[in-house]
Amino acid sequence: MADSKIFESMKRFFSVLTVSLFLSISFAGQANAVDVVTTHKDESGWKLQVNGSDYYIKGMVWGYTPRGQNYTFNLWSHSDDHIRDVLDYDFGLMKAAGINTIRSFAMIPPKWVTYVYEKHGIMTVINPLMGRYGYTIGGRWVPNTDYSDELTRATLKADMLELVDQYKNTPGVLMFAFGNESNYGLSWSSFEIENLPVGEQNTAKARHLYSLFNEVMAAGKKIAPNHPFTIVNGDIQYIDLIAELCTDMDLLGSNAYRGKGFTSLWREVDEKLDMPVVFFEFGSDAFNARTYEEDQYSQAVVLKEQWQEMYNKAAGNGEEGNSIGGFVFEWRDEWWKYLQIENLETQDNNASWSNQAYLFDWAEGKNNMNEEWFGVTALGPANSDGVSTARPRMAYDVLSEIWHMDPYLNKKAAFNQAINNMNLEFHALKGEVRLLKSENKESKQKLTFTGGSFFAEGVVKGSEIDVTERGENGTEYSDGEMMFLDFGFQPNEKVSGQFTLNILGNVADLEPLEIRYGRRGAPIFFEAQNLGTLDDTSTVADTFIAFEGRERVEIYDFDATYEGEDFDLTAFYHTPRYHWKNEGDFFGLVAEATDIGGMDIWNAKAPEGVEFAGKGKFDGLKIIAGPEVYWGANPKVVVKYQKTIGNTEFAFMHSEDLARRGEGTGSSGATTRQTRQTTLYAKRGLAKDTQLELGLLISAGEKIDDQFTRTDGQNVILDEIDFEDTLGFRAKLSFPLFGTKSYIATYHAGLVADGGAVLRDFGITDPSALPYSSQGNKQEYEAGMMMNFGNFMLYPKIMYRDNLVHANPFIEPSTSGGILNPGLNPRDTDNDPFAVLGNREARSAEVFLTYDPTGASFFYDWDNDWAEDARFAFNIGGNYTEYPTFTDANLFFFAPARANASFGAGLPAEDVWSVSSRMVFNPNNRAKYILNLKSGFQQSTGNPTGGTRKFQELHGKAVFGNKHIISGYIKKDAFGPYDFQRQFNVTFPEQYKIDYQILLDGSGDQSRSTSTNATSVGIRALYRTNDPDAIVPSGFEEQGDYIFQTVFYFTYRF
Amino acid sequence: MKNQNRMQAKPAVFKSPVMALLGLFMLVASGCAERDAGDGIAINQIILPTDTLLNLACADAGIWRETCVLSDPENPYAGVITAEFNPNNEDGPSKFDLNAEIPAGETGAKARFYLWATALARFPSGENQWYTARALHELYNYNSDPLIQEQALKAYRSNLDNFFGSVTFFECCGGVSFSVTLNEQVADDLYRTDSTGWVRLIPGDPLNAQSLIAEWGYTYRPATPPDFNDGLVFVSQF
Repeated sequence: MADSKIFESMKRFFSVLTVSLFLSISFAGQANAVDVVTTHKDESGWKLQVNGSDYYIKGMVWGYTPRGQNYTFNLWSHSDDHIRDVLDYDFGLMKAAGINTIRSFAMIPPKWVTYVYEKHGIMTVINPLMGRYGYTIGGRWVPNTDYSDELTRATLKADMLELVDQYKNTPGVLMFAFGNESNYGLSWSSFEIENLPVGEQNTAKARHLYSLFNEVMAAGKKIAPNHPFTIVNGDIQYIDLIAELCTDMDLLGSNAYRGKGFTSLWREVDEKLDMPVVFFEFGSDAFNARTYEEDQYSQAVVLKEQWQEMYNKAAGNGEEGNSIGGFVFEWRDEWWKYLQIENLETQDNNASWSNQAYLFDWAEGKNNMNEEWFGVTALGPANSDGVSTARPRMAYDVLSEIWHMDPYLNKKAAFNQAINNMNLEFHALKGEVRLLKSENKESKQKLTFTGGSFFAEGVVKGSEIDVTERGENGTEYSDGEMMFLDFGFQPNEKVSGQFTLNILGNVADLEPLEIRYGRRGAPIFFEAQNLGTLDDTSTVADTFIAFEGRERVEIYDFDATYEGEDFDLTAFYHTPRYHWKNEGDFFGLVAEATDIGGMDIWNAKAPEGVEFAGKGKFDGLKIIAGPEVYWGANPKVVVKYQKTIGNTEFAFMHSEDLARRGEGTGSSGATTRQTRQTTLYAKRGLAKDTQLELGLLISAGEKIDDQFTRTDGQNVILDEIDFEDTLGFRAKLSFPLFGTKSYIATYHAGLVADGGAVLRDFGITDPSALPYSSQGNKQEYEAGMMMNFGNFMLYPKIMYRDNLVHANPFIEPSTSGGILNPGLNPRDTDNDPFAVLGNREARSAEVFLTYDPTGASFFYDWDNDWAEDARFAFNIGGNYTEYPTFTDANLFFFAPARANASFGAGLPAEDVWSVSSRMVFNPNNRAKYILNLKSGFQQSTGNPTGGTRKFQELHGKAVFGNKHIISGYIKKDAFGPYDFQRQFNVTFPEQYKIDYQILLDGSGDQSRSTSTNATSVGIRALYRTNDPDAIVPSGFEEQGDYIFQTVFYFTYRF
Repeated sequence: MKNQNRMQAKPAVFKSPVMALLGLFMLVASGCAERDAGDGIAINQIILPTDTLLNLACADAGIWRETCVLSDPENPYAGVITAEFNPNNEDGPSKFDLNAEIPAGETGAKARFYLWATALARFPSGENQWYTARALHELYNYNSDPLIQEQALKAYRSNLDNFFGSVTFFECCGGVSFSVTLNEQVADDLYRTDSTGWVRLIPGDPLNAQSLIAEWGYTYRPATPPDFNDGLVFVSQF
């Protein structure tokens, strides 16, 4: 009986479950039904229809980039909760305005396309850019897509169709569109095309572009027959080619910036294409370049008139009837558009292009289009959910009123009357009030507190000697607190800037394991020696006097820019600055100054100075001057003039040191002599992908007639610097070879013809260990061949370098019978006009293999640790360098004497090597693992004693759930983490570090940031063993066999 | 096609700067060669001066902070290594080896001055200053030149003013080294003639030396014979 009841119960349960499942699937199927989108033409004109209903696109170009971020920001890598917060905020506002469709430059994952459709009723255009801004072809990133290349065409077509397949059944997809003004980016070069007259070259290229577009659309429609296909053309350029080649296109997508109206566009499309038109971009910026202030009214008026014209051109109004809607550019201002990687926390007022169609702020010869001001909402600060707010401008209200009318449901006269009678003054007032409230809130125009961070830590540290002698009492505790306060200011339209204050509480005692910013406030001790008196001759013990509480507050960084008509003037103090390599600085006279963290360790305040950047009538002229324009620079002024004549780019530069720095660089980097350099550079493309660069250098003319010694057989020779010793020449030829990207280069430099900073192909993350040197006294030859095989890149390089004059050996002086044999000393760069150091003879070869299936996040970008989005990417390779000769003596800065001192002897001849690998894993968008492995046999950079060291290192970082970060390293026999440790040849048998950090702010974006000031709590432990035979630098004695410390820390960013 | 090619042709001026740079390359490359036998002069042997006539290269030659001796064309040691004594490598070459090889007495006095003045210019130490002062004192002993007398006094005073607490090390009795306080040594050199046998820099009564030392701001309490090591010098004013 009981069994029967149980059976019945189970039967009922499964019946209910079955019905429930069936109903769930049925409803789910209904919810996930794909809309059928078609274009339709009747006697009234063209319409777009969704599931048979007329659909006029009231669209918006939507993107989300918070302040302080740029194009690398990826919303979709954040937590679902955060994404939902952002979408609900933005799409809620857009829905309220009547927007029914968005276009986005970034691909929105299918589930979020469906989310915004189902929750907010807003559809999405899937718009892959199809190589518009470069593409990975055959594993190689090609910045200028060559649409004529067969491999490129095949790759693009396959990838686009894969996307179509991915989105074809995604609810919320309106249509597929390809490219973005791709007809403006026909900048690849090829022999065939360049043999054509100039006027026909781009037409020939455009044929390749449009034929490929059509191939993709034709194939795409077979995959996704329920959606229209189009392109995003720049205006209606090449409309005849489009008519001829894009026969499978359903409608014309166009970006049109023609001012208040679209003039003849409707008619031309009607006559030549006979298809509906959708504007994928149009609109106006909201900044008046004449009055230099936000101009909501002009933007709103332009948009109002544009929409009114579009409505009139819609079907059923007796005109062309081919308007089916458009996407206003854009939803929210983007503060990264100008300069793209700088001034991300401020909204630049720079107008970067000119358009006469926007008469409200156009002036002859001036730019008037302000890229960072196109939003119909202004980019505001984050709200309590961490979502960047959007302040609706007047255009939002005007468009909202328009969008709440339907051009198909309202008669022409009715919507025209409504639009004409719109109360613009009221909308303007609303916009102004919102602006004033916002300004009042942010006080932006004068001085703004933009944020900051607070940092606190507790440190427990000890050493083997402490623990052995005092047991549990052998550890020491200290604590530290620090605060950064960030301010922005904009006293008027042409001047803006920012500065940061740093405030110290206590300073934790972290050294020697960690040396960090803030040590300026650590107590310092002076030894007071008793000198005795006449009446007291006894010896009195030395006493120490501590000075505490020093330098609690300092200006951490500062920059201010004046934007004039013919030049910009920027004052900078400890803010990152970039090299001029890509603007004609072939010899690296202006070094990059982006290692702010490295400078902070030593409280260095570089870069510091003023930059003049000409534009308009001063275009091409750039001047930089200051006490330390890059880290370690002498006070100097550098002038550059760059101009392109014909197909050749020229640059002239002169650098003049004005004085000599009195302080070393970092802990003990030597100061350098005051000098001057002049360079001339030319770059010319010779053929497709073939480029010749030539440079001439005249350096250190002040050293002419300076004497130096050298050996010649058994003789010691006293010689002098001549003019030709100041000359240098460098040439580099880049060319394709059997499908590779190859180069050969030579660098000849006289004895004192020192150049500037050495700049590697891939910047600071370049794994190359070729022994480049900025010094003269060399004949250098180099070659490399970048080979791409699918997603793999193999890059071998070789270098050969000889010296014109070798390093001096040490020959002991002696005297015999009143005759002095003066001997010979290794040279140094203070007491001799030159020395053989990093420019020593070398024969070096290396090869690196890189695997990176996602070329847009280039593996060697500086921010690749968090930007890399491939499921797996890695590199591996090594370098072997033979140094057949010894060097002269390196210098170091001896702080107590505030002067350079010599190591006295040079580094011996040696063969060194290194191998390394870096791996990035992205198993999903919530986790990331990065591994760096390195091993090598390397010399010191200064101290010749102690020999050459073989070492191994493993660095790792793991991010879980965008919230938990574990990082650390294991090192064996490696140099310490700071430059001076390699300079003094200080290695440690074992070094360990582990850090566990929990992010607290919830947005998750900081897990991908290189910043260390994310809101978080964490614990870090370090352990290091000491080599009992090592020469311990002063101040680091008596640590015993090991030292350790544990740091608990808390950071709050606000 | 020919017409097209002509349209692509550019005036020669566009190419000429590149050609000019290439030409400069040839010029520079020819200059970037290794030195040949005709360049420079051999300096393997330098005859040390044996006279006692010293021409000071500048007013403060041999006094700390002044380094003009390094560019003095008469200085045989200007280009010579004057390595400091390295206690971690006692057998390594040092300035003391060079000093020991200079002929003793009058014929080596001038060379001694150049050696120690060079060492001082390169490495500021009380030891180098004191040996320089002594070399000047010795020269004065031989040439009675009042300029040298004045220079020697300046050098001794520099020892007190700039290197008051400095010591040097002497060796005796089978290699045992002991430190000597140089302020006392300076005062002794001015006060007595026992150890050097040279003429006094301050003629007359030794008390004159004490007075001069007092003028310099120091108080000298001479040693009590026969123990010459218990003299003391104090700073009497700051």
